[in-house]
Amino acid sequence: MKMIFYILLLGWPLTASSLPSELRKNGELIQDVLAPVQVSLQESSAVFFNDEDSRPFLYGTVVGEGGFILTKASELDEVPNFHLRVGTKKYRSPQVISRNDTWDLALVKIEAKGLRKVEMGRLTGELAHGTWIVSNGAAERRFRRVRPGIISANRREIPGGSPAVFGVTLREEEEGLFIRSVTVESGADKAGLKEGDQVLKIAEVEVKGRDGFVEKLRGKSPGDRVALKVKRGEEVLDFQVELLARHKLYQEVLSRNDVLSGGWAHISPRRKGFPVVIQHETALTRRSVGGPVFTLEGVFVGMNIAAVNRVEVFAIPAEELVGVLGEMMPKIGP
Amino acid sequence: MQFKRYWTLIFFSLSLSVHAGRQAFNDREVPRDLDDLREIQAALQRNLERTRSATVCLQLKTGSGSAVIVSEDGLLLTAAHVTGRVDEEIKVIMEDGRELKGRSLGLNSETDSAMFQLEGEGPFPYVEVNKDDDSRLGDWVFSLGHSGGFDRGRGVNVRVGRLVKLGESTIQSDCLLIGGDSGGPLFNMEGELIGIHSRVGPSREESWHVPMREFQSHWDELLSGEFIGDGDFAQRAVPGSGFLGILVEVSEEGGLEVAELFPGGVAEEAGIKVGDRILEVNGQQATQEGLDAELAKLGVGEQLKLKWVSGEETKEDDLKLGERP
Repeated sequence: MKMIFYILLLGWPLTASSLPSELRKNGELIQDVLAPVQVSLQESSAVFFNDEDSRPFLYGTVVGEGGFILTKASELDEVPNFHLRVGTKKYRSPQVISRNDTWDLALVKIEAKGLRKVEMGRLTGELAHGTWIVSNGAAERRFRRVRPGIISANRREIPGGSPAVFGVTLREEEEGLFIRSVTVESGADKAGLKEGDQVLKIAEVEVKGRDGFVEKLRGKSPGDRVALKVKRGEEVLDFQVELLARHKLYQEVLSRNDVLSGGWAHISPRRKGFPVVIQHETALTRRSVGGPVFTLEGVFVGMNIAAVNRVEVFAIPAEELVGVLGEMMPKIGP
Repeated sequence: MQFKRYWTLIFFSLSLSVHAGRQAFNDREVPRDLDDLREIQAALQRNLERTRSATVCLQLKTGSGSAVIVSEDGLLLTAAHVTGRVDEEIKVIMEDGRELKGRSLGLNSETDSAMFQLEGEGPFPYVEVNKDDDSRLGDWVFSLGHSGGFDRGRGVNVRVGRLVKLGESTIQSDCLLIGGDSGGPLFNMEGELIGIHSRVGPSREESWHVPMREFQSHWDELLSGEFIGDGDFAQRAVPGSGFLGILVEVSEEGGLEVAELFPGGVAEEAGIKVGDRILEVNGQQATQEGLDAELAKLGVGEQLKLKWVSGEETKEDDLKLGERP
């Protein structure tokens, strides 16, 4: 058998006109080489399945032995009922216990013990361009496929504005703060706010300037309700405004490159506004983010957070997750 | 056991003679283990700093493409569908944000190859062209480009893959590409330029590049600014489409007197004033019929040589025709 293998090997580069698919970067034989890292992916990633069609729609990263899974919040928002698998085991009725909209993260709890969590805190600043990393590829029921890629660009901030939006633009005048315009279909629009309304209070606190208004929205999530007191003519009115996700209210117009990347079926609608990301070129889609990123040595270096387009994926660096997770995990009493 | 060693030996001796000097991982059908992958990574990283600094963004009016510098004095290779025309001035942005100017040289509209010359003082960072044409199917390669346009914070995008098809005038890799990468470089793992990004296929991992041999076989024509072929990657100027932006009358003193100028048109930009007298068109004495005949031959971006009298001065210039408003 060995002998035949060598003969084929020798003849192969000279005669073949097209490289067989199993030998390509995302081919099965390359995946076999990555088997030592596959073990980490298999045990430390969760796969989210939609209850309706039993299809996988998102990955998660195991961050606590007692059944804590971190995943991408905006994708979870799209599916009302789901279950998940860690390793080969299935878990029903997971609970979302906290979220962080700055990073688009949701912490999910399942009834489990002794899970293999990823080791946080590794500095990713040293991850040079060209470094191999692996992510979850296609999900099979029991087996996680490995997908290789390399660090492909500078580590950086991705600007994008606050993740939860009110739906108004403001005008500062000497007499006070006024609503300049109301975005159609926004929470402000649905609550009945009108152009020209003078803002008196937001969340029970008096505001005079735009900065004070924006400050009150910081840290809020889509779905949160905010009280607003305004003066319209001689009347003083009270409103409850529901905040909406920025990426839904102000949905981006698809660029030519977005279309080339498969449109919203493949790219993550929430792909802007992250304090810092590492970028890689692994062939993922919006359905294959949320999972962990490992080096060839099996070191956890980040969590995939957005499939930006066909050549760019963003991941939250591992050391950033430490602080965020500290805030999201339930507090244990003294 | 004896038998097995025999075959192994033959394999190695043959592979040495056939692939002399090649990197070991390129002679393996697949990497054997993680160490082989690490070798690929090390080779890529050794060549990354130099190749990145030589990969530039071409800022066009209608979008952007990429290109790579191949000589100290600023000769660039890129794709024909990026430059679009010969002798076109285009803004260039280096990875560090430095902005330069340059001019397109020749192009081949059939294979999508083009050359470009940077203006200004060198020396510029540059890469070596793989002149031996020794790439093999399955070779590991890496791709650079300003995907989606210049992004200072992000920098040049790097991608890795293998050569999956080798054709005569085009090669295919499974490095992922997107708009803005066009004209960017494909390198072997020794950091030599082996291709220029041209287009993508229907599947995500289908990227096509123009091989270096295509550039080499037309090097002198491209360098001298020729428009080669009638392919789909660039359109020749349509005769008569060029616009000078000038209205003339026959002058009693001989030649043509400028009666009106189109605001912002080519003639006005060249400093021609109403009342100036045109003496010569492309070296011939200026007549209305002669000017019309010359213009009927020329397209957008092509040049017309004028000699005219403005006040006391006689001037001469090559005017590049613009788009008809």
